[in-house]
Amino acid sequence: MKCTECSHEAGVSSFRYLYNARIDAPITLRQCPQCQAWLAVDEMAGEARQRVDAGEAPWGKSAGIEGLAEDAR
Amino acid sequence: MSTCAECRSFFLREDEPGQGDCVRRVVDPRQAFYQSKPVREDNDASGCESFQKK
Amino acid sequence: MVAEPAQDQSVQELEDKQEWWWVAEKKRSKRLDYLRKSVWKKGALGGNYAPGIKLDLECATLFTDMWKFWKYDPIMMRRAKAIAHVLDNKTIFITDHSQLVGYFGSLPNTIMWRVDGASMVNEEAYNEPGIMPEPENESLQKVAELNDYWAGQTAVDKVARILDPEDAVKFLSGAIGWGAPSSAYGYSGKDYEYLFAGRRGFEDIIEEINAAVENAEDKTVGVPGPEILDIYDRLQNWDAMILVLEAGIRHARRYARLARTMAENMETDEKRREELLKIAETCERVPARAPRNLQESLQYDHFIQIFARTEAHEGAWPARPDYYHGPYYDKDVNVDKTLTKEEALDLVGEFMIRAYEVGGFAPRWAREGLQGITGTWVWTLGGVNKDGSDACNDLTVAFLQAARLVRVSNPTFGFRWHPKVKDEVLRECFECIRHGLGYPSMRNDPLLIQNAMHWHGHPLEEARTWVHQACMSPCPTTKHGVQPMRMASATANCAKMVEYALHNGYDHVVGMQMGPETGDAAKFHDFEELFQAWVKQMEWLTSLLVRTVNLGRYKDPEFFGRPFLSGMSERSVESGLDVVSPVGDRGNCWVTAFTWVENIDSLAAVKKLVFDDKKYTMEQLLSALKANWDGYEEMRLDFVNNAPKWGNDDDYVDDIMLRCLRETARHSRVMKCPSGNSWPILPENVSGNIHYASIVGALPNGRRCGDALYDGGISPGPGLDKKGPSAVLKSCGKIDHVSDGRAFLLNQRLSPTQLAGEKGYQLWKAYIRTWADLGLDHVQFNMVSDETLRAAQKDPEKYSEVIVRVAGYSAHFVDISRKTQDNIIQRTVQGI
Repeated sequence: MKCTECSHEAGVSSFRYLYNARIDAPITLRQCPQCQAWLAVDEMAGEARQRVDAGEAPWGKSAGIEGLAEDAR
Repeated sequence: MSTCAECRSFFLREDEPGQGDCVRRVVDPRQAFYQSKPVREDNDASGCESFQKK
Repeated sequence: MVAEPAQDQSVQELEDKQEWWWVAEKKRSKRLDYLRKSVWKKGALGGNYAPGIKLDLECATLFTDMWKFWKYDPIMMRRAKAIAHVLDNKTIFITDHSQLVGYFGSLPNTIMWRVDGASMVNEEAYNEPGIMPEPENESLQKVAELNDYWAGQTAVDKVARILDPEDAVKFLSGAIGWGAPSSAYGYSGKDYEYLFAGRRGFEDIIEEINAAVENAEDKTVGVPGPEILDIYDRLQNWDAMILVLEAGIRHARRYARLARTMAENMETDEKRREELLKIAETCERVPARAPRNLQESLQYDHFIQIFARTEAHEGAWPARPDYYHGPYYDKDVNVDKTLTKEEALDLVGEFMIRAYEVGGFAPRWAREGLQGITGTWVWTLGGVNKDGSDACNDLTVAFLQAARLVRVSNPTFGFRWHPKVKDEVLRECFECIRHGLGYPSMRNDPLLIQNAMHWHGHPLEEARTWVHQACMSPCPTTKHGVQPMRMASATANCAKMVEYALHNGYDHVVGMQMGPETGDAAKFHDFEELFQAWVKQMEWLTSLLVRTVNLGRYKDPEFFGRPFLSGMSERSVESGLDVVSPVGDRGNCWVTAFTWVENIDSLAAVKKLVFDDKKYTMEQLLSALKANWDGYEEMRLDFVNNAPKWGNDDDYVDDIMLRCLRETARHSRVMKCPSGNSWPILPENVSGNIHYASIVGALPNGRRCGDALYDGGISPGPGLDKKGPSAVLKSCGKIDHVSDGRAFLLNQRLSPTQLAGEKGYQLWKAYIRTWADLGLDHVQFNMVSDETLRAAQKDPEKYSEVIVRVAGYSAHFVDISRKTQDNIIQRTVQGI
C-alpha cells in the first residue's frame, strides 16, 4: 500500500491500525509509519484513499433515515 | 521578627484567643476570590511573601 | 477557553441557528456568566488533565499528619480526627459573585487526592505529568514521602492482601472489569429522608447520638454478658460521628467568618456586602441546624456533599434536588416572595456550577472511561411522592431551565417520567434535549419502582423515593433502602464472555488463561455448545467480580471506615455501626454490564453463518479472529452485513438477547450480596467502550481489536440499526425491564432539524409515549448535528461549549478523545 501523503510503500499491516470508520464498511483508519499521517484505507482493495483530518472523516452517514439525515442536520 | 498579628491580612478570631485567619485576595487565570487560612497571631511572618504591615 | 459569541447576533438569530451555547451566554445573568466561566474544569481531556489543574497536596498532607498522630485509635475515630483536622485547617475561599460556598480542595484549581485509597493510584499521581504544584521538585518530594508512608496500608492494599490470589491477578489484569473494592472509591447513597424530610441539622443528629450513647453506656456498666461486648466498638463509632459532625459545623462557620470579614473590611459594593452577610448568616445556620429557606437548603446539601467527598472519593452524586429543596423554593418564591424567580434561578444555576467544579484525582483507566467528567453526577428529577402522586414542582422546572443557562456537563439529570407528568414539565425536559445537553435521560418511573420491588424487595413507599445511585441504578433514600457503598468493581467487561467462549477461556490480548476451559470452539457441533460455553464464562466472570466486591464491602468498616457518612444515616445513628456494615441494609447491588450487545450480535452471527447457513466453519472463523480479521475483509463484511443485528426487530437475534439476559438473571439470583440480596445486571457503558477497545479481541460481530465497542447498554451497534427508531424500540421492548435486569441503557440520536419547533416537541412526546408503552426503562438522546460535531472537531475553540451524551453521562465534545468523538458521530441519527 502506498501512503497518499509521503508515498511510503509497505504492506497494509505495517500501517498502524487505529480503528474503523464504521463497522459495516471496508474503510479503516491507519497511520503511515513514515509520515504519521492518518489515512482512510479501503481494506478490500488494500489501498490508501485519502488523508483524514479531524472533522473530515468519512463516517457519520445515517443508516436510519437515509435522505433526511444523510449528513444529519 | 514580624508576626502574623502585624499583617494587614490577619483577622483575629473573637472567640479563640491567639488564633486568627489570614485573609487574602487572589486572582488566578480564571477567577478572583478571597482565601482564608488559620494562623496564630504570634506566627513568624518574616519569611512570608504576602506580608503587608498594618 | 470560552470563545466569545458574535456580539451582533440576536438571541433569535442564534436560536434559529441552534447555537444554543451562545444563546445561553446571552440569556443568563452576569453572575451566572461569571461563575460558569470561572470554573476550573477538572474532567480530563480525553485522558489528560487540563493545563493549570494541580494536585491538592494541602489536604493530603493535613489528613496524613493527623492520621499518623492518632495511630493507636480505632479506624473510625482515627479517620474522624484526620477529617476534622482537614476541615479545620485547609485553605478555604469565596469566589467573587458567588452565593454558595464550599469546595473539597484547598484552591479552585486543585483536584483532591484520596491518599489513603490505593497505592496504585498514588503511584499514578506521582507519575502524572503537569499536575504538581510549583515548585514541582518540592511537590514531587512531598508526594513521594506521602506515598512511602501509605504504601501497603491503603484501603485497597488491605483488601488485595486477603483476596484469593487467582481472583486478584485476574481482576487486576484490567481485562474483565474495573474499579476498586473499597468505599474509598465508591458510590454512596445518602439517607435524604433522614436529613431533609426529617428536617435535621447536625446538632439534631448529635443530640440523637448522645441519647444513644447514654443508653449504651448504661449497659456497659450493667450486668456482664456477651450482649454488651460489641457496645464498646459502637461507642467509639458514635464518638467518631459526633467528632466529624462538629468539625463540619466549625468548617461552615469558617466560611461565615470569611464572608463577614470580607463584608466588613473589604467589600465596597453595598449589594455584594449584603450578599456576603447573607452567606455568613447561611453558614452560621447550616449544617448546624435545619435549613429555613432555599439558599440554606442548597448550601446544606452542598456541605454534605463536600464533607462526604473529604472522607472518600465518591464517584457519583445520588441526589433528588427538586424533591428535597422544592418546599423551600415554594416558600421563598411563591408564599413569602422573598426571592424572585430570577434570583432563585441564579441560586439553582450556581448550585449546579458548585457541583461541576468538584473533581478528584483519578487513575488513567477511570479518566479514559469517564472522559471529560470527574464522576457520574446524575441528579434525579421528577417522579412521584410516596403516595404515588406527581412529585414535580416549580423547582423541577427551575432546574431544567437553569441547566440550559449554565450548560454544565456534570451534573446531568435523569428524569423520572410517569403518566401524570404535566405537559409544561415535559416540555422543559424536551427543551434541554433540544438544546443539545444530552440530558435529562428519561426513566420510566412506574416500571423502575416495580423493578426495585422485584429485585431487592423494597416496599412500595420506599421504592418511590429512588434516585440514581450512579448513572443508572435506582436506589431509595431511606433508612433501610439507601445503599451506602456500591463499588465500580462489579463492572464487567462483558464482551469477554463471548471472546472466552470462543477461545476456551484463554485471553489472547493479555496472554493468560482467564475463564474456565469450556472446550475448543473449533470442535463445537452446534450453536447450543457455544451458548453453553458462553453461559459458563458469564457465570465465572460475574461471580469473580461479585466475590471481590462482597469481600471489599464486608471488610470495609475494618479497612476504611465512614464516620461522616455514618453520621448522615439513621441506621448508623441508631445502631452505632459503620454505615457500610450490611446490617440493616436491604441490599441494592447490581453488576454494571459494559460491552454487552457485542455478545448478542456475535452469537447471532456465528449461529447464522456457521451453524445455520454453514457458509463458514468454526476453524475459519477462529483463524480470522486470531488474525484480527486482517486478510479476511470480505468474510468480516459478511459477518457484519449478512447476519442479523440487535435493534432491527428481528426475532432471530432478539431471541438470543433474551436467552442471554435470562441466563444472567438466573445467575443474578444465585449470587448474593452481603445483605443476602440479588445481583441483577445493568447494561451500560460510560465511555468504557473506548477504554476497552484495545483490550477486547476481534469478535464475530465484525469488530477488530482496536475498534470502539458499541456505545452501550442495549443500544444497537452504531450504524447497525437500519430499520428506524420503531424497530429499535420494538427490539428493546421484548426485554422484560423488570425481571431481566436492573435497568437497560438506550442511546438514541435524533435530528435537530426534524425536531425543531412545536411539531418537533409533539413528535418527541409521541415517541416517549411509545417508549413507555413498550415498557422500556431508559432512553437518552443526542440532538446535535453531524455538521456541528465535525465543525467542532475542526475548530474546537469555537465550539468549546458543545455538549454530547456519551453514555450514562454528558461531556463537552471537545473534552473527549478523537476516537470517542468519532464513535458518537457514527451513531445512527433516527428520524421519528
